[in-house]
Amino acid sequence: MKESAVKTGSFKGIDFYFIKADRFKTSSVSVFFKDSLTRENVSGNALLPAVLRRGCEGFPSTRHIAGRLEELYGASFDCGVVKKGECQVMMFFVESVADKYTREKESLLANVFRLLYRILASPVKEGGVFKREYLEQEKNSLRDLIEGRVNDKVSYAVERCLETMCEKEPYGIYEYGSVDDLKAITADSLYAHYLDFMAGLPVDVFVCGRAEDRVMEEIRDLMGQLERREPKRVETGSSSPAVQAGERELAERMDVNQAKISLGFRTNTFPGEEDYYRLLVYNAILGGGVHSKLFQNVRERESLVYYIFSRLEKFKGLLVVSGGTEGRNLEKTRRVILKQMEEIARGNISPMELEAAVRSIRTGLETLKDNQVSMVDFYFSQAVSGGKDTLDSLIEKVERVKEEDVVSVSKKIRLDTVYYLLPK
Amino acid sequence: MDVKTISVESVDEVVHAYSHRSGLKAFVIPKKGYTQKFAAVSVAFGSVDNYFIPPGKTQALRVPDGTAHFLEHKLFEQKDGNVMEKFARLGSSPNAYTGFSQTVFLFSCADRFNENFRLLLDYVQNPHFTDESVEKEKGIIEQEIQMYEDSPGWRVFFNLLNALYLEDPVRIDIAGSPESIREIDKEILYECYGSFYHPSNMMVLAVGDVDHLEVFQMVEKGIGKSEPAPEIERIFPAEPPRIGSNYVEQSLSVAVPRFQIGFKDEAPQTYGRESLMREVAVKLLLEMLLGKSSDLYNRLYGEGLINPTFEYDYGIERSCAFSAIGGESWKPPEVRDKIAKAIERVGREGLKTEAFERVRRAMTGRLLRQLNSVEGMAYTFTSVYFRGVSMFDYLDIYDKITFEYVREVFKDHFKPENLALSVIKPIEE
Repeated sequence: MKESAVKTGSFKGIDFYFIKADRFKTSSVSVFFKDSLTRENVSGNALLPAVLRRGCEGFPSTRHIAGRLEELYGASFDCGVVKKGECQVMMFFVESVADKYTREKESLLANVFRLLYRILASPVKEGGVFKREYLEQEKNSLRDLIEGRVNDKVSYAVERCLETMCEKEPYGIYEYGSVDDLKAITADSLYAHYLDFMAGLPVDVFVCGRAEDRVMEEIRDLMGQLERREPKRVETGSSSPAVQAGERELAERMDVNQAKISLGFRTNTFPGEEDYYRLLVYNAILGGGVHSKLFQNVRERESLVYYIFSRLEKFKGLLVVSGGTEGRNLEKTRRVILKQMEEIARGNISPMELEAAVRSIRTGLETLKDNQVSMVDFYFSQAVSGGKDTLDSLIEKVERVKEEDVVSVSKKIRLDTVYYLLPK
Repeated sequence: MDVKTISVESVDEVVHAYSHRSGLKAFVIPKKGYTQKFAAVSVAFGSVDNYFIPPGKTQALRVPDGTAHFLEHKLFEQKDGNVMEKFARLGSSPNAYTGFSQTVFLFSCADRFNENFRLLLDYVQNPHFTDESVEKEKGIIEQEIQMYEDSPGWRVFFNLLNALYLEDPVRIDIAGSPESIREIDKEILYECYGSFYHPSNMMVLAVGDVDHLEVFQMVEKGIGKSEPAPEIERIFPAEPPRIGSNYVEQSLSVAVPRFQIGFKDEAPQTYGRESLMREVAVKLLLEMLLGKSSDLYNRLYGEGLINPTFEYDYGIERSCAFSAIGGESWKPPEVRDKIAKAIERVGREGLKTEAFERVRRAMTGRLLRQLNSVEGMAYTFTSVYFRGVSMFDYLDIYDKITFEYVREVFKDHFKPENLALSVIKPIEE
């Protein structure tokens, strides 16, 4: 099945896309605001969705919004922040059951989008700015989220490694901001930021599932009512150069049972380049699943770890390997990991490893089509990186990758930072 | 071939069912237009099944903590190598998980479904344990245990179960402990395999754009056993209705404290339609009392006592049932007190029919959303199967459940004497 995101319109810096897919029982609308990752804006940007979701005209509290969603057959509404390379993305999402499964006359999707539009355009105000009570509560929740990063040691070990590696580049900024910035934010300053945000950030709107033309039109009309000016130019990923500090190490001690190791690499390869498809295969061979060299050797052969993986940050051209082991085995784990990378560079890739890697990428991309959120994320990421691939064309290119291509791309990969989490 | 087909017209879904002579039940849920194809073999053997009389014997056997989970890990090992490699060659991702009441082996693929499916049936029927491979796995599982020991979400939950339950094996960590897994050897694994991994104690499920007759033919040919096995006699300790302790805490390296409040069912309904009715009722109640549209949620959030990590659920296992309400909070005892007080007030003043209707409608919609995902459907279908019900029964129950019944369940479930609080605190420097 050939499926892709079709651009259905573009005005005032807002791009509209439709991914038509009738097999789903729900339809969704995602609205993405994009900004360059900067210390000045990161925390305000992160706090905005949290404050906006607290209430709007007609639905002035969480309680009212939740009640409305319940009336709309358990429609869902969510928002959050992600980083795509050096782009900070604030996303708002609504999803509702397809109209054929309800007894309503009016379109549920149109109704739930009207609610989202109000949340974006008409927040609850007090003295012309955000309600202080909501602001303070959301500052506290966001502070918990930032400080609570350390609670999940598996993801913390990865993020800490990449952030240390890129501490002098925008990518090193945490997408939810910092506790220090939060302290300085007031209802006035955030409201001014909000006006700027709504008027000037480039926006992508994705509708996925089934939607009648009149509903699509209503979504476009409503977004067209936002007061907009010439959109800001936003960095999209890998634009800032790598600050190479040479190899370095960082160790942190905590009261934990399991030690962790993360190795951060610069791949010097980016989306849009021919080498990018080769890098995808490289990563799959190295640590992209149970067939991979890391899983087979570090776990199955040496029994050093339970989890071990490698992962790409494609926009920024980074690769990270991470695993958990016993403190006394850290050095050995590091050696065995690096050994696997040497093996690939030397061309020690069996036909079975290559085949399994390519197939696993293919299966991953194919099955992504069954999930609305992943499909939207894929096409939105394409829009951010300027990539022209559809899921199917990407699969085709990956399937053409040969062993020598993987070897050649491996030579560009440089170790940058090693992070250790050590038990006290 | 005797195939039964059940249509669930209100949601455009169909389930095909087939019974193999060995006692194995197989199901296919076709999902036209979907790319992902998914299949699972579920075994009614989980971490709580640690004390039983092996078929044909008279002596009861108590196995070390973590045995069911260990067996799940080792089943991937075959005479001719690790089965994961064979799946990888087919481009699929195999996986498995062990819960309190079952072990599930699964794969997900985009093409070559039949080859994958035959491989799945084949390896769950052909264990190959050696002393060496069992020893080697201990290092891997020990690291898995250590990872969970550092997970505040996991610890807060097991500490809660330990507070709620005095005897029930649900208290025991699914993977066991580094000490308990050291006692496991290949003889124990074979004994458990022989007792529980009989087709009549298993269920096969396929979800996706597949031909159900073809699937059932593969089951027909691929299952070696042809006679049902006698019932396995599981032995459960008598669990007193009261809870063990109403408060438990642990310090971990976390920045924000985490809590879970649990209510234990005194007389759990764990099987059949009653169990599903009960589950739906408690879930509706949790939503009415604590959902984002409730007074209580808005007050707790407004007072800064909870944050967006707040969540709640109700679980039914082989011999117990409990609800768990939790998230991050700087003042867990205050959250507990306010929840307890609100429940007491609802007990006095009664539940609101308006909220009941609204929440019921919302939850029906959410159930429908689950049907979007091949994996989500497979997971839900599997998780209720050994309770003798189908996930599609939920629809009917949401439709028929009455306010009066929900009111009765409220009185029975949310009793203050059955409440416990579990807290994970930051380590004080």
